[in-house]
Amino acid sequence: MATFPAAQALPFRDAWAGARRVPTAVILSFAVVFIVVAWSLLPDLFTHHDAYVGDTSQKLLPPSARYWFGTDHLGRDLFTRVVHGTWASVTSAAMAVAVGLVAGGLMGLLAGFLGGWTDTVVARLVDVLLAIPNFLLAVVIVSSFGFETTNIAIATGVSSVAAFARLMRSEVLRTSTSVFVEASGLLGGSRWHILLRHVLPNSSRSVLALAVLQFGTSILIIAGLAFLGYGDPPPAADWGLLVASGKDYPSSPWLVFAPAGVIVVTVLAINRISRWIRHAH
Amino acid sequence: MSLSPHVSHAASRIAQAVVVVLLAYTATFLIINVLPGDPISNMLLDPDNGFTPEEIAPIIAYYGLDRPVPEQLWTALSRFVVGDLGISLRSNLPVSGLVLDALPSTLTLAASALAVSLLLAFLIAYASQNLPPRLGQGLIRAIPSVSLAIPSFIVGIFLIQVFAFQFGLFRITSPDSFAATLFAAIALGLPVSAQIAEVLITNLDHEARQDYFAVARSRGLSRAALFGRHQLRPSSLPVVTMVALAVGELLGGSLITEAIFGRKGIGSLVQGAASTQDFPVLLAVVSLAAVVFVAVNLLADLIYPLLDPRLRRRQAARIPAPDAETLV
Repeated sequence: MATFPAAQALPFRDAWAGARRVPTAVILSFAVVFIVVAWSLLPDLFTHHDAYVGDTSQKLLPPSARYWFGTDHLGRDLFTRVVHGTWASVTSAAMAVAVGLVAGGLMGLLAGFLGGWTDTVVARLVDVLLAIPNFLLAVVIVSSFGFETTNIAIATGVSSVAAFARLMRSEVLRTSTSVFVEASGLLGGSRWHILLRHVLPNSSRSVLALAVLQFGTSILIIAGLAFLGYGDPPPAADWGLLVASGKDYPSSPWLVFAPAGVIVVTVLAINRISRWIRHAH
Repeated sequence: MSLSPHVSHAASRIAQAVVVVLLAYTATFLIINVLPGDPISNMLLDPDNGFTPEEIAPIIAYYGLDRPVPEQLWTALSRFVVGDLGISLRSNLPVSGLVLDALPSTLTLAASALAVSLLLAFLIAYASQNLPPRLGQGLIRAIPSVSLAIPSFIVGIFLIQVFAFQFGLFRITSPDSFAATLFAAIALGLPVSAQIAEVLITNLDHEARQDYFAVARSRGLSRAALFGRHQLRPSSLPVVTMVALAVGELLGGSLITEAIFGRKGIGSLVQGAASTQDFPVLLAVVSLAAVVFVAVNLLADLIYPLLDPRLRRRQAARIPAPDAETLV
C-alpha cells in the first residue's frame, strides 16, 4: 500500500509561526550580530579613543572602566582597536562567503540541473577542492597573489566553493524530482522557468543556512591567516592580527583574550543563527 | 557471494583517486603559475632577493621557465609522478628531503591530535547519554558547538599561558617533549573532536529512539551493554568517514599549531616557504597533502562495507551507498 508524505505547511505561514516563538538564544545571537555590524559601520559611535595613536604613559593597563579591554604596548585602547578592526574582519568574511556562494552555488546548480558531463566535471572539480586542505589552499593562493586581507578573503572563499557546490547540487536534485516540479513541467513550464521559480526558492533555506555558517567559519579562517601574518600589515587592526600582536605580551593576557572573546562570541552567535535557520519549521 | 563487485568497486575508486591527485597537482600548479604572471621568475629576478644571473640560469633551465606553461606543467607533472618533487629555490636542496625531514614531527602531532580528539569526542558523547539530566547534561551537550566557535590559535595560546607559564607543566623552549606535544595535540584536535562529538550525539539520540533499542532494554540488558552494543556501535560508523575527512584539517591546522608551539614540521616548512615564495616547496606539500587525504579517504571508503553489514548487503544488491555527506 502506498503511503503519502505528510502535507507540508505553507512556507509563509511557517515563517510567521516560527517568528513568534524564536528561542531566546537566537534573539541574543541576533543582538550580538547587530552590535558587530554596528561596530563595523559606525565605529566612532562606540568609542572616543584613537585607534592608532596611543598614550605611552598608559601602556599595558589591564581592563578598567576607562579602558574596557585594557591598553596595548603603545597605550592604545584595545576596545577601540577591536571596534575599528571589525570592518576588516566582517567585510572580508562577507567577501569570502560571496565568492563561495556565487562560484559554488553556480557550479552546483549547473551540475544538478544539466547533469551529464557537466555533472561529472563539477564532481571531479569538487573532489579536487576537497582533497587540498582548505588552509593550505588559502596559503598557496595568498603567497601567489600577495599578502593582503583582500586576497585572504578570496582564498577563504575559494576553499568553501566545494561545500556550496555539493549542497546546491543535492538540493537541486532533491527538488527536481518532486511532484510540483513535474507538474510545472507538464503544465508547459520551461526548464529555466522551473529552475528560477521552483528549484531555486526551494533550496534557498539550506543554502542560506550554509552561507551563514560559512560566514562564521570564514571569520575563524581569516583570523587564523591574519594571525600567521598573511593579511595587511600593522597598524591595520583586524581581529586575528590583534590576537597575533597581543601574544607577544604574555604578562598582559587581556591583549589576547579580549579580541579572542569577541571572535568567539560573534562566531557562536552566527552558528546559532545558522542552526536556527536550518531547523526552524 | 563472489568478491568481484567489491574488487571492481575498489579498482574504480583507486583510479578515481589517482586522477584526483593529478588534478590537484595541476590545479595548484595553475594557481601558482598562470594567474599572476610567472611568480617564480618574478621572485628570481627581484633584485631584493639577491639571485645572480649565474644562479638563475640553471633554475630556469631546470623548471623550463622559458618555455610555455603547458610544457612546464608537463615537465613538473612527469617528475611528480616518479616522486621527484623538485628543488627548493631558497635552500637549493631537494624538496623531498625537506619534506621527509619535517614529516615525522607533524605525523606525531597529527596522530596525537587525532587520538586526543577521538577520546574527547567519545567521552563527551558518553556523558551526553549517561549523565543524569540534572547533572549538567545540557552543559555537556553545549561543549561541541562552543568549541567549534573557538579558533585553534586561541586554544593554543591559552594552553601555553596557563599550563606552561602558570603551572610550568611544559616548557615552550623544548617543543618536542611529551607534555608540549600533548598540549599541542589538544589545541589541534579540539575542533575535530567537536565535529565528531556533534555527530556522535545526534546519532546516539537517534539510536535511543529506535524500536530495537527499546526491545534490548526490555530484555533487561545492563546500561553498559545497552550503550555499547545498541547505541554506540551503529552510531560510530560515520566517525570513520569523519576521521578521514579530518586529515586535511589536521594537516592545515598544523600550520597554526606549529607556529604557536614553536615546532619544526610541515606547517613551519609551509610557513617559511610562503614567506619566501619558495613555490616548489608549497606545490610539493599541497600535492602530498592531497595524496594523503585521498589515500585515507579511499581506505575509509573501502573498509566501510567491512564494518557495516547493512552496507555490504546493499552493495551486493547494487543500490548506491549513501555518500559521506548524508551520513555526517
